[in-house]
Amino acid sequence: MAEAAWNEDTGGAVYRSRDPIRNLRVRVKIQRVTSTTLLLQQFQQSSCQPGQQFISLSTLGPHNTASGHCPEEEKEEAIIGWQEKLFSQFEVDLYQNDSACQSPLDRQYHQDILKLEELGGRKNKRIFTYTDHDRFTNLEEHCQRVTTSAKEAPSYLAEMMANVRRRRQERRPVEGNILKSRIITWQPSEEFIKNNHVINTPVQTMYIMGDLGPQGKLGCKEYEYVLCMIKVDSNGVITVKPDFTGTKGPYRIELEGEKREMWKFTLENASATVEEKEEAREQRVFKDLYSRHKEYLSGLVGSDFEMTAPGALRLFVNGEIVSAQGYEYSNLYIHFFLELPSCWSCPPSQPLSGVTQTCTSKIYGKDRVAFFSFPFALEMFFSPEDDLEGSFPQWPVLYFEVLSLDFWHRYRVEGYGFVVLPATPGAHTLSASTWRPVELGTISELQRFFIGGSPELEDMTYTRVPSTFTGDRLSRFGFRSETTGSVTFRLNCLQQSKAFLESSSMKKRMQSVLDRLGGFSQQGSLYNVLEAFQRARRRMQEARESLPQDLIHTSASAGSL
Amino acid sequence: SGGAWKLLSGLREGQTQVDHPQMDDVAYWCHPIDVHFATKGLQGWPKLHVQVWHQDAFGRTELFGYGFCHVPSSPGFHQLECVTWRPLGSWQEQLSQLFVGGGPQLLSSDLIYTGADRYRLQTCAMGTVHFQLAVLLRNFDRYGVEC
Repeated sequence: MAEAAWNEDTGGAVYRSRDPIRNLRVRVKIQRVTSTTLLLQQFQQSSCQPGQQFISLSTLGPHNTASGHCPEEEKEEAIIGWQEKLFSQFEVDLYQNDSACQSPLDRQYHQDILKLEELGGRKNKRIFTYTDHDRFTNLEEHCQRVTTSAKEAPSYLAEMMANVRRRRQERRPVEGNILKSRIITWQPSEEFIKNNHVINTPVQTMYIMGDLGPQGKLGCKEYEYVLCMIKVDSNGVITVKPDFTGTKGPYRIELEGEKREMWKFTLENASATVEEKEEAREQRVFKDLYSRHKEYLSGLVGSDFEMTAPGALRLFVNGEIVSAQGYEYSNLYIHFFLELPSCWSCPPSQPLSGVTQTCTSKIYGKDRVAFFSFPFALEMFFSPEDDLEGSFPQWPVLYFEVLSLDFWHRYRVEGYGFVVLPATPGAHTLSASTWRPVELGTISELQRFFIGGSPELEDMTYTRVPSTFTGDRLSRFGFRSETTGSVTFRLNCLQQSKAFLESSSMKKRMQSVLDRLGGFSQQGSLYNVLEAFQRARRRMQEARESLPQDLIHTSASAGSL
Repeated sequence: SGGAWKLLSGLREGQTQVDHPQMDDVAYWCHPIDVHFATKGLQGWPKLHVQVWHQDAFGRTELFGYGFCHVPSSPGFHQLECVTWRPLGSWQEQLSQLFVGGGPQLLSSDLIYTGADRYRLQTCAMGTVHFQLAVLLRNFDRYGVEC
């Protein structure tokens, strides 16, 4: 069946183009097809003829032949440019006499038609266009129906929108400046409202129409059908409805009325394509522009980046003591220091301890919180010694104590805690719970309340493994503590090492290991990181040994920069 | 941001509008932050530093809080809560602040984003400022930086 070849999809398509719109050309082909209900048509012909006789008796002969016997002749092709006006028979008839012309546009059309007549008449018969200036385009948008309701009246909003959507051909270029000088317009003018209340990119519309009336009786309004609507806005967005028929079949129009005539039409984009040479030149210009911009940017930055010494891991922590919550007394401050295990080093100028400001707490939710937002930046280097290869590597630990200041400016210990710096790079928000040592009995509590002072740890590392500890079993038997609040840290960790650079496959493997161990303890993942790091380091050392000596020297000097 | 960092585009600082909270004691500013940095090193990672001010019915402004937070070092979308504090004056000042507003301010804003001299300060906890940051990093892996 021929039916299968029809293009049923009459939805629009949206194209974008940066080229000037005047280059747009559309080729339209229109053809009458022999209706499948030909028999029916011929049968009906006798009944409809009397009606047509009223309109024009003389065209009866040719009309008959056209509809039934030689349909191949009924075709037309036209290439239409953007906003190119092709007059319909109706318009020719209308604008030929001067008296019908009212607006300047009408008069312009009158002139054009007269000129056309002189040149030998117009070439198009059935295909014609309505451009953006024509009355049709305005009316069409205004009167469009949305539902099948016979009494559908445009709503207030629709009417207002129709006014708003008056096509503005040129955009005012000063808009940006207006916005800058005045943020708020207290008394918006009518024009201002129109321009700003809807997202209103000015659109130009064009309709390609088909006059599908019977042969010789062209120019009847009721036989005008919209073949294609093209809308273009100032940003180069082209909406074509229906879409160009490419590989798909042609569209069809079935006429209303008794004869059910069928027309098919195709739309093609016939715009002249850019010559290859020109396109290449354009691309070269763009490439040049982009590379210049890139050069400019890289000139601003420079290409060198500080690197670590080969074989060392650089750990960089941008940290922040955010808050302390859940403590008994107000006026809190935190004292913290960083412990670097063996094999770790840091730049000598860097402070490894700090004291925050004293902060009065406030009720926030259920708890009393004190906000510190205390910044610290830690830079550490891990350079493992070879004899430690087998032992468990240590990671830096941040010890802290929370203290509160009383009315007489004496301090009380509120809690001790520690945070092991995260072994994985990235942003971490850690909440460390704390405890404080207590003595049994009420006397010490009274003393704490009234005159301050409470048991303190002699060595803050006791919160973890005491630094003096040497045995094989850590016992805290006999030590009493009380749970106090918690301190929130936010740590942004960065790790840098040439080993990471060396092979990205290793990095991926390490990541997968970490992912698998996601649920395990921090120690486990830490160990894996270091193990992977060691492995990479060993491989790099092997690579170094196989390299010629002079290369190593240059790389070493670059690393120390 | 530190000395190794260079601003390529965007604004280093800005000021929001004055918002009158209607519900829940939350002021919504929706202030855009759009900066592009290039760096030669990791030191001096960019920090966001905020000062919250309050404008009363007479048009007077008073300080409500200082805060800071590091720009996250890992790429992706981050929702940050930046806590703020303000300096606390003597009890006479606190009393007058209760009735007529005002209050002490920092002489230099360094104290907000450096920790060295913080111990001199006596502060009280104020509100939190919420940030939504989308961080994009480029070429860090080329220099062996994991972030």
